[in-house]
Amino acid sequence: MTANGIPLGDVLLASGALFVIGLAGALLRRNAISIFLAIELMMNAANLAVLGYAAALHSLEGQIVVFFVIAIAAAEAAVGLAIFVALFRHTETIDVNQINLLKW
Amino acid sequence: MTVRFVFDAAAGLAILFACVMVVHRNPIKSVLALVVSFFALAVTYVLLAAPLIAAVQVIVYAGAILVLFLFVLMLLNVPQEVRQRPDRPIHQALSAGAIVAFAAALLAVLRGYGVTPAIPVAEPPPPGDLTPVAKLLFSDHLLSFEAVSILLLAALVGSFVLARREGSP
Repeated sequence: MTANGIPLGDVLLASGALFVIGLAGALLRRNAISIFLAIELMMNAANLAVLGYAAALHSLEGQIVVFFVIAIAAAEAAVGLAIFVALFRHTETIDVNQINLLKW
Repeated sequence: MTVRFVFDAAAGLAILFACVMVVHRNPIKSVLALVVSFFALAVTYVLLAAPLIAAVQVIVYAGAILVLFLFVLMLLNVPQEVRQRPDRPIHQALSAGAIVAFAAALLAVLRGYGVTPAIPVAEPPPPGDLTPVAKLLFSDHLLSFEAVSILLLAALVGSFVLARREGSP
């Protein structure tokens, strides 16, 4: 290991920690937009792991993958927020405990 | 001050503000905490020899996606989450158990994978030369690139249809 290198373990540990924090947010929050933010955080955690491996393996493919993940996250955010706007207009709330139309 | 120290500091900052994001009850402050977290992540991306992704992270993620979140939050005037007794405490307990179990499993996998004798990450090359990434993106992955452009168009039309008022043109 070079004196200035970053061990892959640090990258994976940071990525795992961010993913678990995002998972906790997605499971424990009740505000739909907060849940959505937590999912964005989980995607970033995955991106960090991919970039860590790409750097360790001296590959550029990882950057391409992350590029597409960010593009798809943008599309997902646009559609998801449009759904929340429509939902809020319909039910006056985005508390996921009170949105139970599809729950059994 | 080594590269590793800077990386660990930036990753720690990202994790700290991610925690702030999850814990805060006011969604506006959650978004602002996530912006800080994403900036710190962009620093780690630079250190992992991906300056293009770092720029996209700041411009698209922190600059566009999170501002969209902020815009919708302020448009809807979402109230602060009030502290209330969970109506189904079993669900909360199950969620907490699942999170702890997942964290433990992840740690076990990382330990089993041999985190300590890690592959060293090379020195980041001087930023500025995007030619290799661009060549790869527009040759091997051209089809995916075009598919993403169609996906973004579909998302644009879909969000317009979803969010418009009933009966309006």
